[in-house]
Amino acid sequence: MRKKKLQSFLTTLGQPMVSVTIALLLGAVIIGLSGENVFKAYGVMLKGAFGDGYYLSSTLSRATPIIMGGLAVCIAWRSGYEAMGGEGQMIFGALSAAIIAYYVPVAPFLRTVLAMLGACLAGAVYSVLSGWLYEKWRVTFIISTLMLNYIANYVASYLTIYKLKDPEALDINASQTGKIMEAARLPRIFKAYSLHWGFLIAVLCVVLVYILMNKTEFGYKSRMNGFNSRFALYGGINARKMLYMVMILSGVCAGFGGSLEVLGSKYRYIDQMIFNTGYAWSGMVAALLANFNPIGTLVASILLSGLATGGAALQRSTSIPVETVNMIEGVITILMSVKLLNLISVRYRHTRKKEGGEKQ
Amino acid sequence: MNLSISYLAAVFNSTLRYMTPILLVSLCAGVCSKSRVFNIGLEGTLLTSAFFAFLVQYKFRNIYLSVGCAVLVAMCITFIIAFFIVKLNGHSMIVGMAVNTFAMGFTTFLLQVVFKTKGVVSDPTLQGLPKVDVSFLGSGTLATMFGNLTVLDYAAFLLAILMYVIMYKTVVGFRIRCIGINPDAAASLGIRVQRWQILATTLSGGFIGLAGCLLSLGSVTMFIQNISAARGYVALAANNLCQGHPLGALASSALFGFTTALAQILQNTALRQQLLNCIPYIATIAAMAIFNGIEARKAKK
Amino acid sequence: MIFELRNITKYYGDTLANDDISIHLNEGEILCVVGENGAGKSTIMKILYGLEQPTSGEILVKGQPVRFRNPSDAMAHGIGMVQQHFMLFESLTVAENIVFKREPRRGPLLDKKAMLAAVSELSERYKLKIDPSARIENCPVGLRQRVEILKILYQNAEIIVFDEPSAVLTPIEVEALLQTMKELAAAGKSIVLITHKLNEVMAVADRIYVMRSGKLVAERKKEETSTDELAYLMVGHHPATREIPPVKTGETLLATEELSLHKDGRDVLSKVSIHVDGGEVVGIAGVSGNGQSELESVINGLEAPTGGKVLLCGRDVTHESVHTRRELGMAHISEDRFLWGGAVSGTLSENAIMAKEEREPYNHKGFLRKKKITEYAGSLIERFSVKASGPDSLLGELSGGNAQKLVAAREIMMETPVLICCEPTRGIDIGASDFIHNEILNKREKGDAVLLISSELSEITTLSDRIYVMFEGKIVGEFNRGAVDEKALGLLMLGGKIDA
Repeated sequence: MRKKKLQSFLTTLGQPMVSVTIALLLGAVIIGLSGENVFKAYGVMLKGAFGDGYYLSSTLSRATPIIMGGLAVCIAWRSGYEAMGGEGQMIFGALSAAIIAYYVPVAPFLRTVLAMLGACLAGAVYSVLSGWLYEKWRVTFIISTLMLNYIANYVASYLTIYKLKDPEALDINASQTGKIMEAARLPRIFKAYSLHWGFLIAVLCVVLVYILMNKTEFGYKSRMNGFNSRFALYGGINARKMLYMVMILSGVCAGFGGSLEVLGSKYRYIDQMIFNTGYAWSGMVAALLANFNPIGTLVASILLSGLATGGAALQRSTSIPVETVNMIEGVITILMSVKLLNLISVRYRHTRKKEGGEKQ
Repeated sequence: MNLSISYLAAVFNSTLRYMTPILLVSLCAGVCSKSRVFNIGLEGTLLTSAFFAFLVQYKFRNIYLSVGCAVLVAMCITFIIAFFIVKLNGHSMIVGMAVNTFAMGFTTFLLQVVFKTKGVVSDPTLQGLPKVDVSFLGSGTLATMFGNLTVLDYAAFLLAILMYVIMYKTVVGFRIRCIGINPDAAASLGIRVQRWQILATTLSGGFIGLAGCLLSLGSVTMFIQNISAARGYVALAANNLCQGHPLGALASSALFGFTTALAQILQNTALRQQLLNCIPYIATIAAMAIFNGIEARKAKK
Repeated sequence: MIFELRNITKYYGDTLANDDISIHLNEGEILCVVGENGAGKSTIMKILYGLEQPTSGEILVKGQPVRFRNPSDAMAHGIGMVQQHFMLFESLTVAENIVFKREPRRGPLLDKKAMLAAVSELSERYKLKIDPSARIENCPVGLRQRVEILKILYQNAEIIVFDEPSAVLTPIEVEALLQTMKELAAAGKSIVLITHKLNEVMAVADRIYVMRSGKLVAERKKEETSTDELAYLMVGHHPATREIPPVKTGETLLATEELSLHKDGRDVLSKVSIHVDGGEVVGIAGVSGNGQSELESVINGLEAPTGGKVLLCGRDVTHESVHTRRELGMAHISEDRFLWGGAVSGTLSENAIMAKEEREPYNHKGFLRKKKITEYAGSLIERFSVKASGPDSLLGELSGGNAQKLVAAREIMMETPVLICCEPTRGIDIGASDFIHNEILNKREKGDAVLLISSELSEITTLSDRIYVMFEGKIVGEFNRGAVDEKALGLLMLGGKIDA
């Protein structure tokens, strides 16, 4: 029994740890090759990510949409739908929130609530679209969601540039929507730091999704569907209902994440703001690192966000571009795709068996 | 009337130019899918090889060297993908996405380090791929239709035919197809399935290298951040439409070439650039929906 | 002596699969290896075909010690195997399947003409009739097996290993197969037949090895032994004969009325009308692929019929979902435990609670009660003696037999008036299969209706009170228990006629 616990610990925590370590080592090589001092660089990164209240708060605030994107992936992938539409859903969520909070003439608090609801709806609708394409037209998720991401980004660009441009903008070329009034924003937790209530809302969402996935009938059904969709059908689970429920929930998470970013930190939709930051992709990597466990996703999102803010600090003080972080993320992901520790332990078990066999 | 013909000829010409990179990538996708390696890292491979084609040409000014290098880079990346999927049993979607994320960071990083810039690099003195001389066609419609194309554009069509012969007429192709149909059956006769899969996909990765050259050294000689612009994914869809058949890939990539050309043509109309840019992506989804949807409905009956 | 295994021992982890096995094969003889499922037959077979390496011991071909690291090595020494699950390329032609790996070529090109000629020649030489240009997906099972045999002959095999070759065949096809084996032996090939069907053994064998729980327990010449002795050696005790008391049947609980299904351009089911009454086991006999799986999935609601009705407990459920049918009182042991019947990466609890996840006390207002579920799973494990470390172990960690027991336990313990069993004992050992048979009979005694679909004819004839025979999607016969023998059934299953 103890051995089993150790093994499950190794697979849940050991694998991400090994992957991150290898990736950071590779990062060290890259940094070294571009002529910087590795220790100094990582020191700068660490400080820039978690060094003091200011940096920590920007890391956590950056983590907010990543967490929500990660939750969207957790829900969909655990249920067996390998959808990658988080980016498009987040774009439309963010844009809807920005529009509603800016234009709808109601009390500020109501604006915030409506903006959030609108974002959830936008994300859900966009997500259901890919679900519908899959169910009715057999367009695989990989194609539909990736294409829809690009479409979302272009459409949002078009709208911010031509239709919803900030009327008060000083710079005529700024492609962004109008700034949301202060009372309709998500307030900061501490005045001096950028961390806003959106982060805590995201943490709450993590807990809710955890309960949903692990303690409820829906969670059970979706998990079984993910393990073996035929088994789920055979057991009487309605596959269609499952697909759309999952798509809605995952779209809601992603869209909502977009609204948190708008309402809590940017206060408007800026063209390419989701596309360029790659929040949704980081969310996916986070979910992968955590093996689709919501709590683990939270931790991994903060780490990845730290990697990005640290990378930005690195760019400020050295010649190393922030994109190094993307490479490190890529390496982590590819290492997470294979069960590294399983490979090792299988080999170990094999040799042990052989020895055991000959003894007897 | 004359004007409209020359207009159509121009559309035809740009269709050809837009379709060839997609065609080459979907040839690789075809070999991958026939040998049961689900490769979605095409996008990242294309981006990286486009970068290296440009980089080598910039540094050494030798077109053979740059094409060779791009092909080599593409093969290396495809090898890594195949190795992780086949040998290490990695989740193919995740492996592919990892490669794409990495490629994005890697090319931007190098862009910064080598060219000290973000976004775009171009060098007017830089030679692109040699163009095929069509002056014997005169200066009429035919010249417009087939002019201004590089050697690799023409090579793409020949390679599609060659791939058809390899996959459907030779012993090697026969074995690759067999492995894809039932890897266990092939293994039971002592074929080293994994080795074949990795080798076949790796070699076909070379096509992506050629496609990369077309992007950064083709009709324009420049490298733009994220120059591949989802062409890798579009090629994946194209390959899905033609079920991995090299000659079918000609048709399906022509479809996508045409929609891109269409977006180009409509540029001067009321529709804005951003919306026009969506056309190829919408066309991809629509084509797949129509094709797969009809297939699925047929199977039901 | 053409081939020899000397003191072969094989461990899988801590389990001993083969314990000091030594067997030899003479040229031109038919050698049988018999034993129950789990006796270690398939391990021996895998070792001699290079799919597994022995932990210790040696392999000799023509007196020379060899090592088989993979099937290629075995094949290079002239050993070929007809696998239980056919290893064919479905969408390719017969000829293409046969020549794979030794393709006739013209330069780098595949020489299609030479391919067809070679295959026709081979088929004539060994009197195994086939159509070289037919596609495998359109070939019936017996023909596919013939392709497998030809494939091995084409590779110039001297030793041909058959692994449970008759499992998928009808009695008449089996006879043809046994005849083929004899002819091959007469043509100088040496044959190893691995099976648990003793009448086949007695029909063809020259020499017989008996295995039991990993050990070689006996070697017999055919003349010296009998089916009874072999059965005793295999099991270690005399098999108990089962007495099935007659039970009074109640009202009809499950019925289909003129059920039809049109798929892929043909009628997979045409006007199938059957009924199962309370207190009876009704068997559906047929060669696999004659519509049984489709009947199964139409009855349990996974597929919609193109015509006809399904009646469950007197209600028309033709257009109801799987869920509704299960709620109304249907349980279903599926044909394939891992494909349909369970989730290998799920725990036993998760697998056990399927279809009960919406019911009290396991579900309280949408939240699952883990404790109750674990208790329930534990009770299934105990009652059906599933060998597992506990409700938290994964289904995939269980052996096939134990996984099947869990699936059967779940469905039987639904305690529904109707139970559909499809191949309930495929690939599991006699102990487990006896157990499941008993549970099925208990259910019958309680007055429930059981529909049994199986390709194992003996299973059908022992358990069923009534038998329907299916051929090409139609019901071609209906018999009460004991009204017909297996041979006649076999004939019907192939589309023949018998005098009633």
